[in-house]
Amino acid sequence: MFTLSYLLPSHILMLFSLYFVVCLICCMYYFLPFSETEKKTTLDQALRCVLGDQIVSICSATTPFLLLGDVLDCLPLDQCDRIFTFVEENVSTWKSNTFYTAGKNYLLRMCNDLLRRLSKSQNTVFCGRIQLFLARLFPLSEKSGLNLQSQFNLENITVFNKNEQESTLGQKHTEEKEEGMDVEEGEMGEDEGPAPCSIPIDYTLYRKFWTLQDYFRNPMQCYDKFSWMTFVKYSDDTLAVFKSFKLDDMQASKKKLEELRASSGEHVYFAKFLTSEKLMDLQLSDSNFRRHILLQYLILFQYLKGQVKFKSSSCVLNDDQSTWIEETTKLVYQLLKEIPPDGDKFATMVEHMLNSEDNWNSWKNEGCPSFVRERSIDEKPKRPTRKRAAPEDFLGKGPDRKIFMGNDELTRLWNLNPDNMEACKSESREFMPSLDEFFTEAIEQADPVNMVEEEYKVVRNPNYGWRALRLLSRISPHFFQPTNQKYKSLADYLDSMVSKLAKELPKDIPSEEIKTGEEDDDDNGDNLLKESNDSPSVQGIQNKLVTNQQMDEMASKLGAQWKTLASQLEMKASELREIEADSEDVEMQAKLLLVAWQDREGAQATVESLAAALNAAGFSHIAEGLTEA
Amino acid sequence: MGPVELLHMSVFSQSFSPCGRFLAAGNGYGEIALFSLSAALSPDSTPLSHKPVLTFTAHEGPVLALVSSESLLFSCGNGEIRVWSWSHLLKKNVKPLWTKRPDYKLGLEIPEINAMILLSKENSLVVGGGDNNLHVLDLETGVFKSVLRGHQDYIHCVCEQEREGQILSGSEDGAVRIWDLRSSQSVHIIEVHKYEACARPQYGKWISCLATDNDWMLCGGGPSLALWHLRSLSPTSVFPLSGCTRHAAFYQDLILAVGEGPLVSHCMLGGDVKAQIPSSSPNLNCLQINSKSSEHRMLTVGGSSDHIDVFTNLSYRAFSLSF
Repeated sequence: MFTLSYLLPSHILMLFSLYFVVCLICCMYYFLPFSETEKKTTLDQALRCVLGDQIVSICSATTPFLLLGDVLDCLPLDQCDRIFTFVEENVSTWKSNTFYTAGKNYLLRMCNDLLRRLSKSQNTVFCGRIQLFLARLFPLSEKSGLNLQSQFNLENITVFNKNEQESTLGQKHTEEKEEGMDVEEGEMGEDEGPAPCSIPIDYTLYRKFWTLQDYFRNPMQCYDKFSWMTFVKYSDDTLAVFKSFKLDDMQASKKKLEELRASSGEHVYFAKFLTSEKLMDLQLSDSNFRRHILLQYLILFQYLKGQVKFKSSSCVLNDDQSTWIEETTKLVYQLLKEIPPDGDKFATMVEHMLNSEDNWNSWKNEGCPSFVRERSIDEKPKRPTRKRAAPEDFLGKGPDRKIFMGNDELTRLWNLNPDNMEACKSESREFMPSLDEFFTEAIEQADPVNMVEEEYKVVRNPNYGWRALRLLSRISPHFFQPTNQKYKSLADYLDSMVSKLAKELPKDIPSEEIKTGEEDDDDNGDNLLKESNDSPSVQGIQNKLVTNQQMDEMASKLGAQWKTLASQLEMKASELREIEADSEDVEMQAKLLLVAWQDREGAQATVESLAAALNAAGFSHIAEGLTEA
Repeated sequence: MGPVELLHMSVFSQSFSPCGRFLAAGNGYGEIALFSLSAALSPDSTPLSHKPVLTFTAHEGPVLALVSSESLLFSCGNGEIRVWSWSHLLKKNVKPLWTKRPDYKLGLEIPEINAMILLSKENSLVVGGGDNNLHVLDLETGVFKSVLRGHQDYIHCVCEQEREGQILSGSEDGAVRIWDLRSSQSVHIIEVHKYEACARPQYGKWISCLATDNDWMLCGGGPSLALWHLRSLSPTSVFPLSGCTRHAAFYQDLILAVGEGPLVSHCMLGGDVKAQIPSSSPNLNCLQINSKSSEHRMLTVGGSSDHIDVFTNLSYRAFSLSF
């Protein structure tokens, strides 16, 4: 019954238990007299664990659908109702991404199976619920739910008494009684009660009227010439009757409606027309009935006139037919407006609905495009996003691309090497020792000449051993050579490694060098700074600091234009105001500017940087003079 | 009957048989036609079943009134009354049982008989016509037992008020006279055209139709069709029908009226016209309701054509019988 191929092996047990629980519930429904609410809650609990996002971790997403389908197949219809309530309530879950693509076909099949089992006239509400559920589950343009080819329900045949043998009315009953036939028939005749036919029946109208229903059932007949003529004749007669028989007496029709209801004993809803001759008079005086028939006319005319993609090309109306349809449509609307109550409102509503039906028709003709608007890819031009400028672009604007940190000391420190990556790559940050440096002591100790005792060997130091292992794994190829030799401890391993290394490395390593290497390590921190200090200035030829004399010369040349230079030198506005306040002589101010710049730059107040700033400010002649000096 | 005759034919009178399954209609050529209603109403009726089963000439002049009793059919034409037996007619025996003529004091002229009613209680026939008088024929003895004189002009219509044993007659002189049979005197005279509510001087003052229902009287013609209260002898409601009404009747809670124009008017007692159902004749002369058989309950109207329209449902014309 169940194929378990869709389960992950590790969760079979859990699913088995799930199935078992569900089967138990089905049995429970059958045999045990639990109350409705109890049953419902147990079902909910059992099946709730099926839902949820963890489903994908337990089993594939199709499992709940297969489960539900099997359950519904096993249960009788009245219990299917309750299971279906569960399905209905969780429609939003089924629409979620985890379940939808996996389960929609299963759900469709399940619902169709249920619909096949149900009778449309007996279980109308249940059928309706299933249809509503399907409508909520699937998008509007789901092709399985559409009548794409505009096909008609040709099986909906209206049966009526075409000849007198079928008629149960008339004098035959009395004749049979008189002849003294079988007791049954006689009794039947007596049980008929009042006279078999107490009112005269207009058979011509009766037949014409119900023949029209055949044209409504299959509109394609209207394209045939002879059928069309019959249709026109009968319609004219019927509509003439409607026209002369005006409904304006609500009291009378209400009474008759109640009679009708009392005789059928049920709600007014019906799936098919009642076509007994005796009802003809009552039906003609009923406004709802008349509205039904007139609406049928309007729908038929809309189909005949409309452009339906699936109609064959031979189905075209000629001019006469079109004119007749136009006139009759006007008559039908007029009749609709005359029907009480609220005939006008009803007529406008009908017109509106038929107009919107045109829209649906053209939607189907276009192949049912989806109503979800997909966002097209290259539609709007992308708004130019303002990219935040990389720090390199706005920092370091000063000469030599110096970065001003706001504080002189910070600036100096930062600008030792503004590029962090470069700084990290400098050789002085290479902390990993070389093999010979690290193992020199160990090699020396391993030399039996030096007669170092075992317990004093540096390889016995766990710290040293660990560092040695790390170094070996980074540098030495010996580390990766497979060996069958088993070492009892790290120290033994290191002994062997050291002996191997000793053979490779040059033997004459003086011990002083080790020490100097160690000393060097201490100095390394300071050296780092000095080295980086040297690196930028290595590039420039002129790395001299600007002298006071040069500054005086430039000040005299700059004169009042020192402010332009100030912006190139990236002097702060507060500093500029200070300079202005300090003296009024422009040469003095220029000198003050240059002095302030030199103070700030410190060791980097070089001729080159000043020349660069001057060039940028447009004082190239001054810059030339500076560089010449 | 050639097509020209059919074109000019008018149906003036109708009467249903006592069993209710046949209709007798009299036309302007003096013929009476018998129609089988069961054949016409049956499910397998053909156009042939809408034709009369029997047609015979009853009088020389037009058959202006037809009345049925338990077994007899009375017809009147040019100054004479003829009687047929229904059973004979159904066997296609068209010999009249007898012919009688009221005693007209006029010389050469033979006045037509316009209206005829049967008083079942007294077993008498009352006829009125061109000589301005009502003649009462006793059916037991076959003698005209009294003459009711008073009208100034010829009598159009006669009807009976059963409870009081009175007869009402309407005539061309515009008066409705209420007669008491025992005294042979007119008890009341209503000059309808003198009442402003219903007077229509453009049409004249003649009274062409009368109908009674206990205390109520319908009368119309030149003046508008109006409902009168007999005790107070005053019009209570006037019906806004155009044209002159030629025949009106009470039916359940409705008033049915036919006259000039192809419409059968359904009116309410309050004075509104509820519906007007079209028929096939341009003008209608007579209407009859078959109350004797519930299976063949129908309304038939005849007028200035050779068709008699049958309404099984009062609100629309079902089919037509034709001569």
